[in-house]
Parts: sequence; C-alpha cells; structure tokens
Amino acid sequence: MKNFLFYFTGKRAGRAFLIPCAFILLTLTIFPFLFSLGLTFGKVSLTGGLAIRFIGLKNWSRLFADERFWNALSNTLFIVAIAVPLEYALGLALALALNTKIRGRTVFRVVFLVPMMLTPIAVGYMWRMLFNISRGPVNHILPGLGLPPVGWLTTTGVVLYSIIITDIWHWTPFVFLILFAGLQSIPPDLTEAARIDGASNLQLFRYVTFPLLIPASLAAILLRAMETFKIIDEIYIMTGGGPGLSSESMTLFGYSLGLRAFDLAYGATIAFSLFITVLIISIAFFSITKGFQEITFE
Amino acid sequence: MKTIQRENLLKIFIYLFLIGWAIFALFPVYWMLTTSFKPKLDVFLGPKYFPWIDFKPVAKWWWKVFTVEREEVVLPLINSIIVATTSSLITTLLGTMAAYALTRFTFKLGPMGNRDILLWIVSQRMMPPIVVALGIFIMFRLANLLDTRIGMMLIYIAFNLPIAVWMMRNFLSQIPPSAEEAAMVEGASRAQIFWWILIPMTLPSLAATFLLCFIFAWNEFLFALILTFDRARTVPILIASQHFQRGPQWWDISVLSTIAIAPVLIIALSLQRYFVKGLIPIGK
Repeated sequence: MKNFLFYFTGKRAGRAFLIPCAFILLTLTIFPFLFSLGLTFGKVSLTGGLAIRFIGLKNWSRLFADERFWNALSNTLFIVAIAVPLEYALGLALALALNTKIRGRTVFRVVFLVPMMLTPIAVGYMWRMLFNISRGPVNHILPGLGLPPVGWLTTTGVVLYSIIITDIWHWTPFVFLILFAGLQSIPPDLTEAARIDGASNLQLFRYVTFPLLIPASLAAILLRAMETFKIIDEIYIMTGGGPGLSSESMTLFGYSLGLRAFDLAYGATIAFSLFITVLIISIAFFSITKGFQEITFE
Repeated sequence: MKTIQRENLLKIFIYLFLIGWAIFALFPVYWMLTTSFKPKLDVFLGPKYFPWIDFKPVAKWWWKVFTVEREEVVLPLINSIIVATTSSLITTLLGTMAAYALTRFTFKLGPMGNRDILLWIVSQRMMPPIVVALGIFIMFRLANLLDTRIGMMLIYIAFNLPIAVWMMRNFLSQIPPSAEEAAMVEGASRAQIFWWILIPMTLPSLAATFLLCFIFAWNEFLFALILTFDRARTVPILIASQHFQRGPQWWDISVLSTIAIAPVLIIALSLQRYFVKGLIPIGK
C-alpha cells in the first residue's frame, strides 16, 4: 500500500491523479475510435476468430451510392434543424417566465425538470401510447378541437414531426435548466440599475439579459445539437424507423446494418459519416460564434 | 394605473404559460402511470383518463410483474443497479482525481497544456456512441467481455468520465487553495490533501456529479443493446424487448417503464437543489 501511495505523494503526484482517467479514455474511446476508422476500409468476418480484409474505399463508395444513407442523413438533419431551435426558444421562454417574482417557483422548476430524467426507452413508449391512432388521447382530443385525427406514427410525412414533438418534450427541460442557471448567475444590481434608468421589460431583455445569456445559450444549443444527432432510443421504440424507412436516423441505420445485418465494416462506415457530419457542423458552429467561445468554455 | 394593469396581464399570461407547460410535462408520465393500473378492456376501448371516474383501477399487472414474471425482471433490475451505482462511484472518483490534477498542477504534453487536455477529455463526450460502439463490440468479443457486468461498467465509466471531469473541474477551480496550502505547510502529502480536505469540502458537488453519471448510466440504451444479450441485460433492454416478445401489452410495458423511471426520479427530485447548483458554472 505504501509503495502504491508513493506515486500520489512525490513530486510527480499530478500525473498519478490524471493517469487513471486518461488511460480509460485512451483504451475505451480513442482506441475503438481508431479501430472503427480502420474497419471502414475493410471487410470483417467473425466466423471463428476475427479476420479483417482490406478493401480500400469500397465501403465509402457503397455508402455514397446508398439511397438509404441519404435518407437517414436527411431525416437526422431535419430532426436536429427543427427540434433544437424550438427547444431553445421554449427553454428560454420557460427560464425567463420562471425568473420573475411569481409564486410556486420551486414547484414549477421541479416539475419542468421531470422529463429529462426519464429513461428514453420509457419516453418512447409513453409517446407511442399517446400518439396511438385510435386509442391515444392525442387523437381523442383533436376532433374535439375540430381537427381530423392524424396517423402520427403511421403516415410518412408526419412521423418525423411526432419524433420532434417527443424530443422537444424530453429535452426542452435541459435547455431550460442551463438557461435558468445562467439567469440566476446574473448579478441583480445590473438589472436594477437598468430599471432605474427606465428600461422597459423588452429593453431589459434586449440589452442586458440576453447578451449575458449568450454563453449559456451557445452551450445549450451546441450540447443539444450534438445529442440530437445521436438520436435512436425513442425512434427505436416509437416507429422502429418506419413506416418504411421514413423515420430512420443515422444511428439506427448504422446499428441495423452493423449489428442486425452483421456487416460491421459498413456499419462503421455509416457511423463515421455521422461523426464527420457532426464534426463539420460543430466546426461551423464554432467559427460562426467565434468570440463567444472563450466565455463559453471558461 | 395602466402600467399596473399591464403588469397584471403579463403576470396572468406568464402563469398560464407555466401551468400549461407543467401539464404538458406531466401528462405523459401520468398516462403511463394510470395505464399500469388499467384493465385490458379500458386500454383497448379508447382513451380513459381518470381512475375511479371512467375506469376502475386494478393492481393485477403490478402483482404479475413481481410474481409470475419475477425471474425475468429481477436480473436486469439487479444488473442495472449494480452497473449504474458502481460505475458512477468509480467515475466520480476518477473524474475528481483528474479534475484535481488539472486544477492544481501544470502539465506539459508537447504543445498541450492543461486547457488542451481538458478540452480533449470533454470532447470525447461529443462523439456519437455508435462510432466507437462497433469497435468496442469486436474488442469485447476478443476480450470475452460481451454480455458481462464488468464490461458494461467499463463502458459507462468511459462514457461518463468527460462529464465528471468537466463538472468537478468547475467546482474545484472555485475552491480557494488556502486550506490546502496550510495543510501542505504542515507536511501533508497530495494524496492526504485530496482525501481528507478536498473530498469533504466538495461533498455536494460530488453528489451532483454522481447523480448525473447515475442517470446517464441507468438510462443508457445503445451500448447495452449492442453489448448485452442475456446475463448482463439492463432495464432499458428489458423494456425495449417487451413489445417484440409479446405485442403491445401496454399494461405490462407501463408497469416496467414505471419501475425504470421511478428510482431516478425519486433520487433526482430529492436532490434537485444540487442539480441546479451543479450546472451553474456552465452559465458563467
């Protein structure tokens, strides 16, 4: 024990504290990452041991000619492009509304946080029940409002919106939490000073609150976009990617081909194309929002 | 006078918005909970909303899960509890150690400084899990870790470490070094300082970090789907397989889903104060 502890007490103690974490990340994320990258240039056979044959760029040329890939990519981009801005707008509205002098703030805050803690698989089942075409309450309430019932999970053009609604329900609380924490950390003397100078609610928001919320906003949007790109759980339960392939996301596509059809190399290629997409979009995000990032990650 | 009226109108509008969203947020959970008490016919004959008013609640599905289906349910539940708890404890410890190193020492790894190391660690979380999942599948197959609790723990430790490091770094960098310096003068080693001074000082932050890791590990689906089949199945996998095994038996699915969400909800709501506090550094 004494010998082991020595590494934590000597001059190089810093390394001893950092190495366990770095070692785990290297073996369980960096190494598999490189391994998966290698797979995209090969063909894997798992019958008796492991054999990988190098086939060059064949997986990649197959990918770009695959209509199913473009479909999954556009579905995923569509979900991100619609869901994330709406989650941000709603999360901001909720945070601002709750940051006023009203009663029951704690109760509201607790209630608002509930959805983001729930198991995504359970959330998928919840919304599958709610959206059920004949027995779900959503289609039961719509005719009461004079609207026709909708095949939420069975109609090709509609199903992505149902998934977006589910995602908004599930993850707006996360945006709310970050922005609410951001609002709470704004010093009250600042808003008071603006009030004394005669600023209206709108001016206060436009010139004081919102600028101070920009770092939190960027963090919330970036984190939500990253997470939404990975979407699979809710889709797996709600539609399984259907009807047809109309709600298949990139992760579901990669999983289906990689592990159900057991084409591991092609699955890895799909996964890497998702990684490259996410990388391009986050680089674009960082260069567009340059100047704010210093504050965001400080 | 007019401004007061306008203020009141705004207040009413805010209340309506907040109450409306609260109903929206809770209704799906309410629906699942009530469905777990509905007789079959009341599920199939269209939406029934209120127990004792438009349907008569029954407890038999709950009873069934804990008697007839016990065998099937207990193992995944135990797996989830063991894997999520152990992995989150280890993650919190290792993450705090790394955060301690990054806030109290200066590292030079070629051109990389502390900040680059931190960004490198945090960026691991940005990667879509499917990218590494297929590589891990093959690695685990070769190492005989497929369908084992140890394997799942390792995955969740790696998966949660970036968050733990980031959160703990934010907390630790706010603690003034005076107590540590005093201990150092007294001749305490780094390990002693870490264990006897820093850990006790940061207990609430450690709780927040542990909680977040626990929620992620408890709810995680994709890795469990790929890396477990039978002995090491976790609760999300158990629930996800229900529909494919016996069709839409919504009452059973609702009972199991309620069991899946209950522990996290109870723990998280009782500790939610730390939660908001724990995330405040993001807003800074």
